[in-house]
Amino acid sequence: MLADFFMRGDSWLHKTDPRVKVLSVGLTLAAALILQNLLMMVILWLLVLAVPFAARAPRGRIRFVLSALVPVSVLMPLVWIVFYPIGVETISFWFIEVKLLSLVQGLTVVLRIHIVSFAVFALLFSTDQTTLVRGLVKLRLPYVWGLVLSLALRYIPTFERSFADILQAQKARGLEFESMRGWRRVRALMPVFVPTVISLFRLSEQIGIALEARGFGAEGVRRTYFRDITFRTLDWLYIAIVVTAVGSLFYFNLKYGFGADPLRLVR
Amino acid sequence: MKAEKDPSRFAAVCLEIRDLWFTYGDGQDVLNGISLSIAEGDFVAVIGQNGSGKTTLAKHFLGLLRPTKGEILLHGERIRDRSVGELARQVGYVFQNPDHQIFGTTTWEEIAFGPRNLGLSAEEVERRTVDALERFDLSSEATKPPAMLSFGQRRKVSLAAVYAMDPHVLILDEPTNGLDGRGEKEAMELARTLNNTGKTIILVTHRIRLVAEYARSCILLAGGRVSAYGDTRSVFEQDDLLKSSNIELPQVWELGRQLAPRGFLQPALSVGDFCQTYGELLKQTGFRNAGAR
Repeated sequence: MLADFFMRGDSWLHKTDPRVKVLSVGLTLAAALILQNLLMMVILWLLVLAVPFAARAPRGRIRFVLSALVPVSVLMPLVWIVFYPIGVETISFWFIEVKLLSLVQGLTVVLRIHIVSFAVFALLFSTDQTTLVRGLVKLRLPYVWGLVLSLALRYIPTFERSFADILQAQKARGLEFESMRGWRRVRALMPVFVPTVISLFRLSEQIGIALEARGFGAEGVRRTYFRDITFRTLDWLYIAIVVTAVGSLFYFNLKYGFGADPLRLVR
Repeated sequence: MKAEKDPSRFAAVCLEIRDLWFTYGDGQDVLNGISLSIAEGDFVAVIGQNGSGKTTLAKHFLGLLRPTKGEILLHGERIRDRSVGELARQVGYVFQNPDHQIFGTTTWEEIAFGPRNLGLSAEEVERRTVDALERFDLSSEATKPPAMLSFGQRRKVSLAAVYAMDPHVLILDEPTNGLDGRGEKEAMELARTLNNTGKTIILVTHRIRLVAEYARSCILLAGGRVSAYGDTRSVFEQDDLLKSSNIELPQVWELGRQLAPRGFLQPALSVGDFCQTYGELLKQTGFRNAGAR
């Protein structure tokens, strides 16, 4: 199942401390939010996209993420062009004339979504559940929350599979919705949504019971860890590069307006 | 390999599968050139190891999966261009997990969902729903939310919901999973009753005892290919093939086979069959009380 992103490996990214990766994702997200300039966004996008390639992520998984982003990548610029026609300059494609600023804003939003998606993908494909939870707990996240997060990620493929099975089961009972649009389609899909939600409740209840049955949450127990994590030189180097890059970006952005204008590098 | 099964026994072909290949999106080849015909009114079991392609094959009969290559004919007509909704008028599919279909606020609503999708009149929907409720002993649960029923009851609801659509071909995918002995017997006896009324039953199962007891024919799948197909007895006689698929035959069959070289009759498929066959034989040879059950 492609949504289950983790792939065992020994790349530099696999070996990087999960705290560094989590922090990098956070800083990348902050950079993507602060930047408004299209050129800078393209550069950031290329940098973030280069990470999974440099860590030898399977091409099929990268293609999967890209293909999942296709609808939003097409729709977002269209939404901006049609509903937010801002700016003075226009550009023409054949007989269609669009506001340049709207198009740039639409593309910037698309790049922002791509950057966040690929940053999270780089984290998930190179970090197994246990290590991720361990990293989050070391960052002072309560263990239970960390476990909840890792379980949520673990069950995404299960949820996908359930949804597909339920869809097939209702189609087999004559449910037809392909020709419907909008609200009618949503209503027609209720026989799919309801069993999916019920199944999820049942599943979460069963997991809860199974966890308790194996002593999870027992009173007065100090949790120990079989696999601990420690910072190494590579981790310090990685975090130094990311913090310096994003810190500089913030400094120049706030002081000189660097990357704050959609079209010009400096305001 | 084209598997033909005793064509003289049944008048018409219900389902014909011609050189069927199927590959999932992740590149996993599941069906590799399956060709077979299922006769009208037959009770066929599809057996094989996990991952042998049983459910994948069965889902093709209703168009839930579309072949990568090959053709399926239902009553002589290609199903390639027909929607699942259209095929659902003729082919019913009971899924492994009843919770994958239950959404109604009442059991009555749940069962009426399928007939309504077929565009039947309100009277006909009501008639079929009441009939299904009675047939599956669910009348007392008609106004209860089906999701709150026990697993066994939910399984019955899923069977009743498909039964109410009155399909010509009924596919039962592991229909007895999670049922106790009584529930299992009820479900299978009902399948037999429906088969006796002329419906074609396709049973996908791991439970070899059910195959022995109920199925007239048997398809053994291995590695996405038909490894054996014929009447149940003839498939059971192919020891090596079954062993290579890790299928263990019922003990009563094994016992019969051990006795056969000693001058006894052919192996029996079920305990009832065994008692009848050997009881008669022992009576003839002078054993008192033999065959009494």
